[in-house]
Amino acid sequence: MVVLLIRMKLAVLRNSMNGQRAGRLVTGAVAGLTLAAGLILLAGRGYPVASLRFDVLGAGFALWTAGWLLGPALFGGGDETLRPEQFSLLPLTPRRLAAGLAASSFVGVGPLVTLVAFSALVVASVKTGLGAAATVVGVLAVVLQLSVCVLTSRLITAVLGQIMRSKVGAALAALVSAAILAGLHSSWVLSPLAQTALRTGFPDSLSAWLTALPSGWGLLAVHAAAQGNWPTVAAALAGLAALGLLSWYGWAGLLKRRLATRRASGRPVRVSSGDWARGPVTAVVARELRTWSRDLLRFHYLVFALCYALVFCLLPLAVGASIFLPWTGLVFALWVAAISANLYGEDGTELWGKLMIPGSARHDVRGRQLAWLLVTAPTALTLTIAMVVLTGEYGLWPWLATVLPALLGGGAGVTVLVSVLRPVPMTDPQLRGGNLLENGTDFAQVLMVLILSAATAAPAYLAARLGPVWAGPVVGLAGGALLAWSLGRWAAAKLESSAPELLLYLRTGVSPQRRRPALAWKPERPSLSKPELHLEKLGLHLAPNGQRVYVVASLILCWVPLAAQGIVPALMLATGQITPSWFLALHLPQHLQWPAVVTMTCLGLVMLITGLGIGLHYRAKSQRVADELEPTNTAPGKATTSDNQPTDHDHHELRLEY
Amino acid sequence: MESWGTAPALRLAGLTKTFGDRPAVDHIDLEVPRGSFFGLIGPNGAGKTTSLSMAVGLLRPDSGRSQIFGVDVWADPARAKELIGVLPDGLSMPERLTGRELLRFTGLLRGMEVPEVERRSGELLEILELADTGRTLVMEYSTGMRKKIGLATALLHAPKLLVLDEPLEAVDPASAATIKVILRRFVRDGGSVVFSSHVMAVVEQLCDHVAVIASGRVVASGSLETVRSGRSLEERFMDLVGGQAPEMGELAWLSS
Repeated sequence: MVVLLIRMKLAVLRNSMNGQRAGRLVTGAVAGLTLAAGLILLAGRGYPVASLRFDVLGAGFALWTAGWLLGPALFGGGDETLRPEQFSLLPLTPRRLAAGLAASSFVGVGPLVTLVAFSALVVASVKTGLGAAATVVGVLAVVLQLSVCVLTSRLITAVLGQIMRSKVGAALAALVSAAILAGLHSSWVLSPLAQTALRTGFPDSLSAWLTALPSGWGLLAVHAAAQGNWPTVAAALAGLAALGLLSWYGWAGLLKRRLATRRASGRPVRVSSGDWARGPVTAVVARELRTWSRDLLRFHYLVFALCYALVFCLLPLAVGASIFLPWTGLVFALWVAAISANLYGEDGTELWGKLMIPGSARHDVRGRQLAWLLVTAPTALTLTIAMVVLTGEYGLWPWLATVLPALLGGGAGVTVLVSVLRPVPMTDPQLRGGNLLENGTDFAQVLMVLILSAATAAPAYLAARLGPVWAGPVVGLAGGALLAWSLGRWAAAKLESSAPELLLYLRTGVSPQRRRPALAWKPERPSLSKPELHLEKLGLHLAPNGQRVYVVASLILCWVPLAAQGIVPALMLATGQITPSWFLALHLPQHLQWPAVVTMTCLGLVMLITGLGIGLHYRAKSQRVADELEPTNTAPGKATTSDNQPTDHDHHELRLEY
Repeated sequence: MESWGTAPALRLAGLTKTFGDRPAVDHIDLEVPRGSFFGLIGPNGAGKTTSLSMAVGLLRPDSGRSQIFGVDVWADPARAKELIGVLPDGLSMPERLTGRELLRFTGLLRGMEVPEVERRSGELLEILELADTGRTLVMEYSTGMRKKIGLATALLHAPKLLVLDEPLEAVDPASAATIKVILRRFVRDGGSVVFSSHVMAVVEQLCDHVAVIASGRVVASGSLETVRSGRSLEERFMDLVGGQAPEMGELAWLSS
């Protein structure tokens, strides 16, 4: 049975492999193997203090094991290639099924990479010359430690899967993962301690802890074997085996429960009247606010953002640093942006409903933006004001008043834009199991949105830094509003023009073709006013990717060097009414001011001309293609019905008038 | 373009869609007369859903056109979509809303006035026997309830044509009866209905016009009587799509 399940798992993996998955697999494998190689190198290199080799290895193993145990809480998932439910009708005892599935979880990139990483123990044993017996014990310990990792990880995933089915559970899981992530991100606090430890050896208490943890039992066994202390060797190895076995036993129990229970149907929800929603945009706002409070995943994300902000900013207090506290609201806003950039992906195929309502794309995008602001802004503002009052850092207010509005506006823009441009397909909400872990987070997207949202605050930051004291808040507020408006407009235009492709992508996971096939007829003039960012209208759908990006980027950005950094400072220099603000040239020594203005103007002109040139080239090309299509593809005019049946014209008599 | 007064309720001309190398829909031509109850039948995977998706503007065709009362769906989607109500099969809805909220917000998104939305949704929920499900989210609905609330959203803006993909699939007899009554009444009052199904009995019971689709092509279409040619629809269907009843004697090991 075990062999059969392993073969089945391999077949499923092979059949579900596509370019994207293969890419992820290879990236994961390469990253993992690099880390494993690092661990082996650490095991093999020389150290100023002899004990350091095993202490460093102990720390490495502890972190690696923690990755296995905490990974599912952070990244979602766990290995669900073979789902136990698929075997629930087979005449197998739950324990036998658990044994088979447990064995199959050892097949995969993760366990393989871990095996390589743990082999550092054998390397260390050989390098230190602990003898053949110790090396054999090392090999055994490596295998056992791998089993502990895989099986305990399964147990923890199953436990979390049971917990995360209610709001309380979702909040709890959010708290745990936020605390872990924020803790890791605050680990800079420990860096002076770590540097000392690497020079003079680990403190004894830390060494003792590292050996006492199950991740250090392999090291303990190898040491003991070198000293001929066989009872300790036996105890350490037996301990590992027992831990693996216990985890498996616990997991088998939960598996039995999982197979015999079904998702409880939801409790009745609290219904508010929503009377304030009286138009299309407010209707979307009301719907979104309900989703934020009723959807377990969104609720989980929101609690995560709050907990992360609090832990990240409060943790440095442990070493007496309160510098982050006033920025708690900002960190919260940034994280809410990062976790709400898959709005359309989360709603799944629901997009069809919007496709059927003329003109709803704009209302939908604006409504989602407003709802995002309503969810984020009050908490972010409250946190900011409360923390400033608590710390008494009133001198920071110009900075906070600069960055917070910029970030809120930018977040409201970036989230909807990324939701439309880079959605991550997810199982439809009504088909999801109750377990939140099954809906993994796309970390690339989270990271991208974190960076993009932070970047939206850059102009305001520069204004605050270079301009007079009022410039920051003004640019922050105006820039935030401008970004929210313009990015929202972009998102709505994109949604309007490519909603069918987006729907197909969310439905099938098949990426929409970049180049749309030419329709076989020339459409009659649409009455719907098309948004201006239509790539077709610009003729850019025929341009290669790089050039398309260049045209759009250069035409949007050329105004910065041309007008803002060129013409405006030139006017100021000419008239003598100089306000340096964020104008680069005006901050330079006098003899460099005019050359800087000229350089900026030239740069802007080059961007404008090249962008325009390439754009016009493809526009003309697309016009030619359209003209060529026209004569041969006029509408068929009369539709035929079938090959072998006459058209039934009797229906004209049945026609009823409205 | 034909005038509003004479154009058929739905006209598909040369609609084609290819996924990968496989043509899912291969130059389909179809005309749904005004006021007809039109059944689209075909085996699983014949291209019914793909055709209907392209017909209503949910899936962009590779070539061909779709007109609703003479209005091109892809050239003038705003006007065309005012005229149709759609119920797709197996797609998501705003799942974290209650039925009443779903209708209310859909109506507002369509630009309808609040009192009108409330009046219509109240009536629809009453007729569809969903009025008592006040605090249940759509995601907790049973299959029958999902189809009914989907039908309600499709009807809310008083469309002239209903396009329904498998509206009675996996629906219990009581809910199915309600849906049938509403659809019949819609046609009686002048509306047109196109629906796909692979249950012949339902099509024979409801429809006055039928088209048979197999392997992405229309193999027969016209009034029910014409397509049936004096036989039962099932027999005719098996002829057209080339299916055959399994021979007796197979699976002998099953006999106890």
